[in-house]
Amino acid sequence: MSRDICLDAIRSCLEGVIPAAIATADREGVPNISVLSQVHYMDPAHVALSYQFFNKTRRNILANPHATLQLIDPETVAQYRMRVRYLRTETAGPLFESMKAKLAGIASHTGMAGVFRLLGADVFEVLGIEVVPGATLPAPVRNRSLLAATRRCCERLSACTDLEELLDRTVTDLRALFGIDHAMVLMADEAGGRLYTVASLGYRASGIGSEIALGDGVIGVAARERTAIRITHATSDYAYGRAARDSSLEAGGAGDAREIPFPGLAAPHSQLAVPILAGGELIGVLFAESPEAMRFCYDDEDALATVASVLGAMIHVVRQSPAAEPAPEDAAVAEPRGAPARLHHHAADDSVFVDHQYLIKGVAGAILWWLVRQHAQHARTEFSNRELRLAPCIRLPEASENLEARLILLQRRLTERCEVLRLEKTGRGRFRLVVQRPLALEEMG
Amino acid sequence: MVERTRSLSPALTAFLEGDVSLMLASRDAAGWPTLGRVLACDVSSDGGRLTVYLARTPNAALVAAVAETGQAALVVTKPSTHHSIQLKGRDAAVAPAGEGAAPVVAHHVTGFTRDVGLIGFSTAFSRTLMAHDPRDLAAVTFTPEAAFDQTPGPRAGDPVEP
Repeated sequence: MSRDICLDAIRSCLEGVIPAAIATADREGVPNISVLSQVHYMDPAHVALSYQFFNKTRRNILANPHATLQLIDPETVAQYRMRVRYLRTETAGPLFESMKAKLAGIASHTGMAGVFRLLGADVFEVLGIEVVPGATLPAPVRNRSLLAATRRCCERLSACTDLEELLDRTVTDLRALFGIDHAMVLMADEAGGRLYTVASLGYRASGIGSEIALGDGVIGVAARERTAIRITHATSDYAYGRAARDSSLEAGGAGDAREIPFPGLAAPHSQLAVPILAGGELIGVLFAESPEAMRFCYDDEDALATVASVLGAMIHVVRQSPAAEPAPEDAAVAEPRGAPARLHHHAADDSVFVDHQYLIKGVAGAILWWLVRQHAQHARTEFSNRELRLAPCIRLPEASENLEARLILLQRRLTERCEVLRLEKTGRGRFRLVVQRPLALEEMG
Repeated sequence: MVERTRSLSPALTAFLEGDVSLMLASRDAAGWPTLGRVLACDVSSDGGRLTVYLARTPNAALVAAVAETGQAALVVTKPSTHHSIQLKGRDAAVAPAGEGAAPVVAHHVTGFTRDVGLIGFSTAFSRTLMAHDPRDLAAVTFTPEAAFDQTPGPRAGDPVEP
C-alpha cells in the first residue's frame, strides 16, 4: 500500500463515534463484513478489537488472520484503510479492562447497554494504513495545545519542593492549562486496598479524605490495573455508589457516618483516570471528569498520563529530600479559650469525632489523636513528621512513605470541618497544632 | 452458504433501496479481504440480481479483487436502528456504471443523509462522505446467494430468508 501513515496520526477515528467496518475471509475465501463498535489503540503497531460474540468475523480470523478495516475521522470525514493481522485474544488485564470500560460508555450511548459485553480483546498487528482518496472537511481549530500545556505543567511540577505544593500545582494547572473543571488526586494506602482523596477541584464538597476501593469505578480499575481508564459517554456500569453518596450529601454528611462522601459529578459523561506510578510502585490516581461527552480523547489521555508520570517522579523526589529543618523558635501561641470542645476517639478504626461530628479515621485519625494527647499532656504545639513516624500508637505501616499525604489529608479535613483545630506548616517536615478552644478528650472502647 | 436464492423478497428489496449505509467487501486471489463504501444499491426487477455503485478510484483494490475472484459481501445497515443485513454472492462482475446510475446514487445519498441526520450527523458530513466524481463510477453486479442477519447482538451472522 502506498501513502502509509502512522496509526498515532489517526487515533480520532478510534473513538467509536463512527463505527469502523472490518472485512475478513474464511478458509474458502468467502468475504465477510462486520461493523465494529470499538477499535482500541494499543501502540503505533497494534490495535485491539472488541470480541463480544462468537460471530462470523471471529470464526474467520481464527481461520485466516488477515483482515482490512475501514475507518472514518468523525470531524474531517477522512477515510482510511488499515491492513491488520490477528495475533491473540486477551481476556483479563489492563488492555481488557480499558476496553471494557470504554465499551460500556459506547454501549449506553448507542442504546446497546446490555447487548455489548466484552468477552475478549482481539489483538491485531497493524501492517499498513492507506488514505482513501476522497473529499474531506477542514479540521476544526483547537482552543488549546495539549502538548504546550503538558510541557508547561511538567516544568512547573518539576519546580515544586514538597507534596502539598505538588498537589496544589496539579489541580491548579489542570484547570488553568487544560481547561479541566473537575478533578481529583487520590493516594493509594500502603496496604494497597484503597485510595483516598488528597486534592480535588471543582466540587461542591471537596471530598478530601473520601475513599475508593481498588477496582471500584474508573479510578479503582485504573489503580488495580495500573493503566489509564477513559470513558467518553455516560455509563451506569462505572458509577460510584451514587445513591448512597447523594443521600449522604442530603443529610449534610453529618451524624455517626464514618464515611466522607465521594465528591464526583452526579452525571459525568466523560471520565479519565490515570495511575500515578514511581519506580513501579502505585502512588495514586489522577482523575478528571466532565459533564460533556467526548471531553477526553486519546491525546488528553496522553497529556494526563505524562503529567501523572512527572507527578509520580516528583513525589518520589520530595520523599527522598532531607528530613526536618531545625525546630523554629516557639511562636507565641494564643491560649485556647471558650467552652471545651469534646473529642471522641474510637480505637477500633481510629475514628475521631469533634462535638459528635465525624471528622476523620484511619492513620490520619490516629495522628490527630496522638497530637491532641501530646497537647493535653505536655502542652505541646510544635511537632515534626519524624516523631510521628516513631510514635508506636499511630501504627503507620512498615516503611510508610505516605505520612506526608496523611498529614495533608488531615490538615485539609481540619480546615474544612473543624473550627477548633488547625495544622500549620512551620518548615520542611515540621508543623504546628493550633488549638482554638480547650479540648475534652474521651477514649471510647 | 445456504441455498441459492430465487429472488429477494419485496421487504428486503425495500430495505436495500431505503435510507441505508452500504459497504462492499471482496478478497483478492491471494485471499486478502478488502472493503469500501458503496454509494447506492439497485435490485433488478425480478429481484434476482443486485447492482451496487461505487467510486472506482478510492476503491481500486476492491474493484480489482471483485474482478479477480467474483466474491462479494454487501452489508446494508440502517444507522439509526442498527438493523443490518449481509448479502453474499460469488459471481460478481465489474462494469462501468451506465446512464441510469446517477439518479439511483442521488436518491440513495439523500436517504443516507436523512438517516444519519437522525443520529446527529450533519448534512455536510454525509455529503462529504458520499462525494464522488460521477465519471468515476463502477457498477458491481452479483446474484445474492445468501442473506444473513447482521444486527449487532448474539444473532448476528444467522442466515435469514432473503
